[in-house]
Amino acid sequence: MSKAVIVKNEHLHGDYYRAVFDAPECAAGAYAGQFVNLRIDKRNDNMLRRPFSINDAKDGQITILYKVVGKGTANLSKLAAGTECDMLGPCGKGFSAPADDVIPVAVCGGYGAAATFMLTRQAKQRGVLLLGARSKDDLLLTDEYAAAGFDVRIATDDGSAGFKGRVTELIAPLVAENPGKKFCFYACGPHPMLMALAKLLKAENLDGELSIDQIMCCGVGACFGCVVKVNDHAHPGEWMYARSCADGPVFKLADVYVGK
Amino acid sequence: MADIKVDFGKFQLKNPVMTASGTFGHGLEYSQFYDISRLGAVVVKGIRSVQSDGNPTPRVAEVTGGMLNAIGLQGPGVEKFLHDDHYLPGLKKTGAAVIVNIWGKTAEEYAEVAARLEAEAAADITALEINISCPNVKAGGAAFGTDPKLAAQVISAVRNATALPLITKLSPNVTSIAEFARIAEACGSDAVSLINTLSAMAIDIETRRPKLANVTGGLSGPAVKPVAIKMVHDVYKAVKIPIIGMGGITCGADAVEFLIAGATAVAVGTTNFVDPFVTLEVIDFIDSYCDRHGFKSVSELTGSLQL
Repeated sequence: MSKAVIVKNEHLHGDYYRAVFDAPECAAGAYAGQFVNLRIDKRNDNMLRRPFSINDAKDGQITILYKVVGKGTANLSKLAAGTECDMLGPCGKGFSAPADDVIPVAVCGGYGAAATFMLTRQAKQRGVLLLGARSKDDLLLTDEYAAAGFDVRIATDDGSAGFKGRVTELIAPLVAENPGKKFCFYACGPHPMLMALAKLLKAENLDGELSIDQIMCCGVGACFGCVVKVNDHAHPGEWMYARSCADGPVFKLADVYVGK
Repeated sequence: MADIKVDFGKFQLKNPVMTASGTFGHGLEYSQFYDISRLGAVVVKGIRSVQSDGNPTPRVAEVTGGMLNAIGLQGPGVEKFLHDDHYLPGLKKTGAAVIVNIWGKTAEEYAEVAARLEAEAAADITALEINISCPNVKAGGAAFGTDPKLAAQVISAVRNATALPLITKLSPNVTSIAEFARIAEACGSDAVSLINTLSAMAIDIETRRPKLANVTGGLSGPAVKPVAIKMVHDVYKAVKIPIIGMGGITCGADAVEFLIAGATAVAVGTTNFVDPFVTLEVIDFIDSYCDRHGFKSVSELTGSLQL
């Protein structure tokens, strides 16, 4: 737990914002897929911390992308540069560094693209971002991924940008274009998207890691609030609960429970 | 420096600050932040005879002045707790005093868990806390803590099964908590702890669905503190056994309020989630409060309410 001072808290578009914090203790050693648990203020109607994927961590700073969805994020969006917050992190287990011989593919829904961004620095081969969103107004970070050398491919539900359909439908063409190549898929997005992706990857015998979470509280594994179902390897076919904050949020595909 | 050791008769603690069961995992989660042996005791999450999945998600929801939870006592089961490094063996290495919260679906199961813990680890366990007050499990928990006859059966069964010191954790969801404290005392409990969470519910008005998958849950956090203070006051007048007071403690001043109301020790719960270091601040505050008010020992503070 350490002090984090807001350097910049900017409105991007729609309900989306980006905040940059001076937070040297949290930034040190943080990697893709980890999160920070932020105490936004001390109001009695907003007591609990809020978890945010680390979009970037460098030069002693933490960047997060967020969407205003409730009280906590609404309060956060009003904080000015210079405001001191209390940040816990980096928390959780993130994505493994991509192996040299794989094409890293980030498969993201909306602002889930924040969680995989730091993989762009670890990729040895040219990576790919498959980004799905409701419409073009929900796309984020496409320029940043492109600038980092990733091949950016988009799917929107309404067809307002890129392919009209689901982001998972972009996988088969990508694999077909690269015969004989190995891939690893790194995913963050809404739960239904992640479950559809996990089923597809398992069916196609592809490898991946998925960031799966639940409404969180302590962020350090103590409260058991944020559990998600994972495979119980001791009892094949059965599930057990794992804490998304401490055992995850990133789980290997082999651990992701997709139902019977 | 006041003497902040506290004496429960059958056991002593280095200071009166512990953690509330369910808010501190199995203890090791917070040892990344500080040396947990500095606490009076670590009270671990509820343990029953077998592994327990707990409730579906969402399990937590924020409300004004606190939070609701319906975790449902997820836990590893007593054998894994006794032998896996993530649990008791790991805790033992930290040097922390450990109080194990126990539960079951029958009085016999409570007794079985107590007997196993005593048989395998009596030297590593300071006391057992009998959980007859969790509002979030269908069988066990508050089903026992809101019925005087069942409460007596469970506490007596555990008392007959072990010589370890016993604390009974009481439910606030009763007409008279003092009645249950008297039952605990009569059945051989060495102390009582109170309060567990208040039965509660919240609804998302956009979807018209309950905010918790379990529909109802338990309210904790600063909102419950005045309720808890009053209940500690009631119980202090009703029994001679010591009280561990808890409910909404966010700082040292809150803890002192519980001591004045009649508590011998306190437990910090929900605030651990917000400020992992809060317990240390509470210990320091109690010490300095005693000095400032001329108490040579924290025990002089217990029940010092001026009426």
